[in-house]
Amino acid sequence: MSWNHDGIGQADTTGIEHLDGLYSYARILTRNRAEAEDLVQETYVRAIQAMGRLRPDSNMKSWLFTILRNVWYNQLRKWRNGPQLVEIEVGEGVSNDILEPSKNAYDLYVSKIETEQVRAAIQELPVEFREIILLREYEDLSYLEIASVLDCPVGTVMSRLGRARAKLRTLLSATLKGSDSPSVKGAK
Amino acid sequence: MTGCDDYGANVQLFLDRELSGRELEEYRAHLEECETCRVDLEAAEELSHLLRRSRPLYSAPDALHRKVIQTTELFPSSTPYAPPHLRKRVLKVLAQPLQTARRSVLRWPILVAAILLLVGVLLPIPGILRQASANSYIEAAVAAHLSSLNGSLPLEIKSETPNAVTAWFAGKVPFNFRLPEAAEEVGHEQVYQLAGGRLVNYKGGYAALVSYQMQQQPISLLVSSSTSATAAGGEEVSSGGIVFHYSKRMGFAVITWSTHGLTYALVSSLPGSGRQSCMVCHQNMPSGDHF
Repeated sequence: MSWNHDGIGQADTTGIEHLDGLYSYARILTRNRAEAEDLVQETYVRAIQAMGRLRPDSNMKSWLFTILRNVWYNQLRKWRNGPQLVEIEVGEGVSNDILEPSKNAYDLYVSKIETEQVRAAIQELPVEFREIILLREYEDLSYLEIASVLDCPVGTVMSRLGRARAKLRTLLSATLKGSDSPSVKGAK
Repeated sequence: MTGCDDYGANVQLFLDRELSGRELEEYRAHLEECETCRVDLEAAEELSHLLRRSRPLYSAPDALHRKVIQTTELFPSSTPYAPPHLRKRVLKVLAQPLQTARRSVLRWPILVAAILLLVGVLLPIPGILRQASANSYIEAAVAAHLSSLNGSLPLEIKSETPNAVTAWFAGKVPFNFRLPEAAEEVGHEQVYQLAGGRLVNYKGGYAALVSYQMQQQPISLLVSSSTSATAAGGEEVSSGGIVFHYSKRMGFAVITWSTHGLTYALVSSLPGSGRQSCMVCHQNMPSGDHF
């Protein structure tokens, strides 16, 4: 897909490269696969509709994440008027596409276990910690960009990120020790 | 030397590449001297590396990838059928023989033949472009209908009242249109039911997607300005001064027509020919005689 900004010097931009990132964000917000898929689709639909209003110098990545977050919280507000049954998925397996083909079987196994532990730990965090960890550690957004997505001051980003990491370090302490171990790191 | 307390927050800022200039230099200098801060930084990096090794946290399923691609293709950017650069190239080619004729009279028969050939090729282009535009509108309508069926284009207004849906679209689409009153309101049996509508993007502008239900079957009506959408081709059925174009696309019955500056595309799974398809809705209405 190619989204064009109107006018001379228009920039061809594409949002599809952010699909995994948006889907990950949707997963940690909704904690539900089906909800996440719907949320990502709706995000793209809204984004395309609003594309004409996006300035050529805008940051499309954080713009897309902002749309996704707004769509989700708008939905939540609507749902509060009536109870909704949202299935929380726990202990889900790791999809094959996170695996790197160059790794050997043992490394793949370790990688799968490690990723499962990381996902489980992140999903245990409160939502404001989950999203800030994702935006920083997985999406590499700057503090300013995160502040824009979360609609909060940069100082809040810093403090919340610090607390989120501290909590996550505690939850992942066993994994962190394990990853130090030569039996895991250097095996085979 | 500044104490570690003053650099506590800098571990995170350094890790996140949020330090710059003098602050960065000072912190690096401090790290050289302070083992406590180096240990803190290593611990922070260790967690960060663990997280980054598990990128992406989730991968979008293939089905979602396909749906998003389909959705984005439904909303193409505004690409004219005869882009300016193509028109320029055609004009350039047309002009070439005249320029070269001055240099070589001997080549003029070839150049005349070339011009005649080009004119022969270019003459049908308006018709081709018109059909291409009509096909594009049909494809957009079918894609919108499919997306409605699979839930990727949820209704933005849900109402069975034509006036409510008409009012919702007012000011949102760059044209005025009014949904007809329900058949039962005008004294006839109602065979279809309005479900609601939503905005979709067609060629860089907003179009209206209206959803109906008939015999448990969803029907989509795409409404756009005739400046961006064309109705042409297919089996033609004339009624009330309007030419309806019936065609089949991806197993769906598609009827397109233009009137009062708007172009409509009705997509359904209704069987039969164009005339039969029209009669399904209009059989009990006064307009049924026209079909």
